[in-house]
Amino acid sequence: MSIQLERVNKSYGVQPVVRDFSLEIETGELFVLLGASGSGKSTLLRMIAGLTEVDSGRILLNDQDVTHLPPQKRGTGFVFQNYSLFRHMTVAQNIGFGLSIRRTRRQVHVQRVQELLELIGLPDYGDRYPSQLSGGQQQRVALARALAYQPSVLLLDEPFGALDVKIRVQLRQNLREIHKRLGLTAILVTHDQEEAFDIADRIGIIEQGELLEVGTPSELYRRPQNLFTATFLGSTNILRARRNGKSVYVGDVSIPAPPETDHLTGQPVEVLFRPEEVELSTVRPAAQTSVIGSGTVENIAFAGPILRLSVRLASGETIQALLTPGEFRERGIEPGQEVWVSLKDYHLLPTNTAAEKTPVAVTETN
Amino acid sequence: MREIKPRTFGAWLLIGIALIYATVLFILPMIAIVQGAFANGIEPLLETLSEPSVIHAFQVTFVLSLGAVLINALLGLTTAWVLVRHRFRGRKLFDALVDIPFVFSPVIAGYAMIVLFGRDGWLAPPIFPIVFALPGILLAKTFVSLPFVTREVQPVLDSLTPEPEEAAYTIGASRWTTFRRVILPEIWTALLYGIVLTFARAVGEFGAVSVVGGNIEGYTETATSFVFRAMNDRNNVGAYGVSVLLGVFSVLILIIMNLLRRRMTQGVRDVDSA
Repeated sequence: MSIQLERVNKSYGVQPVVRDFSLEIETGELFVLLGASGSGKSTLLRMIAGLTEVDSGRILLNDQDVTHLPPQKRGTGFVFQNYSLFRHMTVAQNIGFGLSIRRTRRQVHVQRVQELLELIGLPDYGDRYPSQLSGGQQQRVALARALAYQPSVLLLDEPFGALDVKIRVQLRQNLREIHKRLGLTAILVTHDQEEAFDIADRIGIIEQGELLEVGTPSELYRRPQNLFTATFLGSTNILRARRNGKSVYVGDVSIPAPPETDHLTGQPVEVLFRPEEVELSTVRPAAQTSVIGSGTVENIAFAGPILRLSVRLASGETIQALLTPGEFRERGIEPGQEVWVSLKDYHLLPTNTAAEKTPVAVTETN
Repeated sequence: MREIKPRTFGAWLLIGIALIYATVLFILPMIAIVQGAFANGIEPLLETLSEPSVIHAFQVTFVLSLGAVLINALLGLTTAWVLVRHRFRGRKLFDALVDIPFVFSPVIAGYAMIVLFGRDGWLAPPIFPIVFALPGILLAKTFVSLPFVTREVQPVLDSLTPEPEEAAYTIGASRWTTFRRVILPEIWTALLYGIVLTFARAVGEFGAVSVVGGNIEGYTETATSFVFRAMNDRNNVGAYGVSVLLGVFSVLILIIMNLLRRRMTQGVRDVDSA
């Protein structure tokens, strides 16, 4: 186990920023800690690196308790969001900084720096100064500098946050490749869910200093165990319902209950479904699909490769649906039209968790 | 780039005032000194300047000023560091007090030192004398030039982002190594600028130095106090000659300051374009 956090707590004054945070990260894993700004994710990363002290709890790196070790003795590599290069040193000197501190032999030093320059795709940039590089190039140098002394874990604090979208996507893929090639254990902190989905082996959702849920990107997206997760990752439709027997009653219609939700029998639940799992048709679909009723198309928004429709159900609630332009043309849907709404995939959560964790806002994909 | 407009009467007036002010206050005096020094040709001037008491005065001035620079560079840097990096009770008051040598009359400062370090003072020296001796001059020069290094370094230190330093720690650099290899290069130009100002101030000091040192010819007499004595003795060639040398020194300092200032703004531009 490369990184273990055991009930870590941290407050600034009376304001708790990290609460009872426990997490285990496997060797070789690229773990993404995803949370809004102010959720405590950066503080957590800084505590792992030793830049911020913990109030209570334990931090283990490679089974060694480092909770009270200074950052110099932890052997982590840290990449900051911005401007962390030593600007009076050349790129090669920046990358070689960790090696010179460890008094690595000259020949090994030079060779290792050159390897890293090639790894980050800047083989001829060794003699330049940071001010002569673009933001993306600087960040790649920062990564190389953090990798030079072969740290046991790599910690990245919003490393692509200050960069343009295009460069961000490119650097993400670079990082993914480098991570695979070197078999690193890494934690990346971000507020960008697209970024998290793109590179993470596993994602942890952090909100108000608490770890809400951990899972692979698809687990978290398709079967979130938590309403916050569901709304934080992409947009989602939520309808109140009641589970009884083998069915879920949404208003006066029933749809089959997912078998893994038997423990919720007899309880009020929330039915969660992604806009892309909504099927719309002008004629009533065949009986075996999960029809949740009919509604009126209120609005059709063009969003590039996809169309976003809002449909007001007979019960009064509005849901979002996504259709490809092809599907849209085939079905001949127009604003104001009556349509049948059925669900291709859906998911239940007990209503009481919803009461505990009210989503702050419904975040939209794209 | 600002647009160049035809000058109005008001603009001409302002330019005129600034030029007259500069001319009367420092261009004319400099010309007068140079003229006076060379009034009888270069021979008597060189003769005066090679007198043992003049050479000794310059030695005392420059050696002790370098001493003051060394002390103020180290302690001024420490003070700036403490003021920026540490929070303690009375920090704001301490911060304000650093400027005391700027507002305090040097003569009073010198007198205070006599009271403090004199034969019956609180800190009367047990072994070697301070007052009316070279250590007193060193103290006086150090006191009057104390704020420069602190005040030049402090804002630069304050403006540093914590990330490079923290990066150095995670990479494994000790606090001292991080200071030496990451922080010091950042504040280096400001430190040099402060040192140059300190040196200029220490060399030019007269009031405190003459009170504490007592202007003993061939012993505690400095270049500036030599000028004062020469003036009183109507030794015009001596007074003018030493003044010219000190003036040349000031011009050199001015050139160095401008070079350093250019380097400082260069540094700022680098950060902006990054």
